[in-house]
Amino acid sequence: MLTGSVEAPVLSLRDAAFSYGGSPAIAGVTIDVHAGEAVALIGPNGSGKSTLLKGVLGLIPATAGRFEAFGVPRGAGAPHAEAAARASRRSIGYLPQSDELDPEFPVTLAQVAMMGRYRSLGWMRWPGRADREAVRDALEAVGLSHRAKARFGSLSGGQQQRGLLARALASAPRLLLLDEPFNGLDQANRDALVQTLRTLKRRGVAVLVSTHDLELAREVCDTVLLLNGRQVACGRTEDVLTLPNVQAAFAESGVEIDEHTLVVPGHHEDH
Amino acid sequence: MQWLIEPFALPFMARALGVLLALAVVAGLVGVLVNLRGLEFISDGLTHAVFPGIAIGFVWGGRDGLFLGAVITAIAAAAVLTLITRSGVASDAAIAIVLTGFFSVGVLVVSRQSDYAGQLDALLFGRLLTVTDADLWRTVAVCAVAVVAVLATLPGQVFRAFDRRGSEAAGFRPLALDLTLNVAIALVVVAASSAVGNLLVLAVLIVPGAVARLVTLRLGALFPVAAVAAALAAWLGLAIGFGASVGGDVALPAGSTVVVTLVALYAVVLVVRLVVDRVRRTA
Repeated sequence: MLTGSVEAPVLSLRDAAFSYGGSPAIAGVTIDVHAGEAVALIGPNGSGKSTLLKGVLGLIPATAGRFEAFGVPRGAGAPHAEAAARASRRSIGYLPQSDELDPEFPVTLAQVAMMGRYRSLGWMRWPGRADREAVRDALEAVGLSHRAKARFGSLSGGQQQRGLLARALASAPRLLLLDEPFNGLDQANRDALVQTLRTLKRRGVAVLVSTHDLELAREVCDTVLLLNGRQVACGRTEDVLTLPNVQAAFAESGVEIDEHTLVVPGHHEDH
Repeated sequence: MQWLIEPFALPFMARALGVLLALAVVAGLVGVLVNLRGLEFISDGLTHAVFPGIAIGFVWGGRDGLFLGAVITAIAAAAVLTLITRSGVASDAAIAIVLTGFFSVGVLVVSRQSDYAGQLDALLFGRLLTVTDADLWRTVAVCAVAVVAVLATLPGQVFRAFDRRGSEAAGFRPLALDLTLNVAIALVVVAASSAVGNLLVLAVLIVPGAVARLVTLRLGALFPVAAVAAALAAWLGLAIGFGASVGGDVALPAGSTVVVTLVALYAVVLVVRLVVDRVRRTA
């Protein structure tokens, strides 16, 4: 089923750079991501993983190179880049790094997932049957159907994380951007998330996931993009995820490396 | 129970109730969003900013000009405030300075009038019982615009209230959402100023939403609960004020009586909530 090489890529970057203004936070990125492909972004803290995801989302401008999402050029100097970015967000699901959300906010898990449908609601329209079905499917995909009516703030951290993933899935994205979704997850939540990612790939969703979990990259990702302010290496997981490559990416970052995990100083791994 | 119903056979009492019921509906909708977004401070600022508009409108056009002046200033103030808070440069202190500045300009304008004290009194404390039919319909119209503006953007507003960054990542425009909500708040301030007075407007905007948060944890129930709380306080407050002045010969300002009733309602609900929570915890 290697149709990916024939179809146009969902996301295409050629020597692309993204910047908050000033020197680029991430540069020299060249990669094609096809439907059903999962890419792991790996690198030390501050290596530009989050920046790259936000850049693809259009929250941070591209400042150099070529950048296309869903066949629409959005690189530096592309016409109407801002409008194109906002339009593309309808097809992109985004799970930010675990956020401080008000635990007292009066919403249920199902209502949070429904927010993923809000963007496609018409003017003055309320969610209909198709929207409710999408929410039900999304909650099922993350294994939280039984908690649908629970108040979001009453869920555990891992369940909230999966709930936000359900919100991203409810919008039926073609491209999913996950920013360290495995941070602070216990084993059960981690396994559930791995299962969800496999299902999504089968359905043809392209996934970009930043992570410190090399084991996870090996389990679900076809491609690895090693970053350290710029692209260090990119290719098939088994080719790229070698000890020398990882050591090169993490040089000077004070990270202990073995074959499976990274121990990043100051990086919380609590549950 | 007659004291609760009979007074509203009088036209001026019925008009006062009509104004307050219109306000109750917007307070339910806009007030809950103010609560969820934590926009109490900005709302306070807007009540000050609208004051010179009311004053200048009154000086130029009398009672008819008052509404127009207030609406124009309100929209301008909402736009300025949205941009100030968006730029991230201005601190709370800067907002407070700008808006109290607006307020003193309003007082200066009113002070040039011959009947200074009487008019300032009406602007600050409202004149609920002398509302005309025209006033009533203008209030309803302004409230309706605020309701439509908020309803049209409600999903985005709720999303933004819950998860500011998430809503931007989903493609909602924060500036458009903030501008819409702030203009709606400003319109409620205008509508409520002539009823309960500029000084007490904040109570109408904030207390019903706060009551609703105590009563229910369900998002969909917050809006009707807040509206019913505001309506209930309006009805009781007017009836109490009427009873006190007719039966007890104590003349209470109607607007303030309504606000005190609303705050009392909040206090009662708060006590009930605390008791219920304690009983549940020990049970």
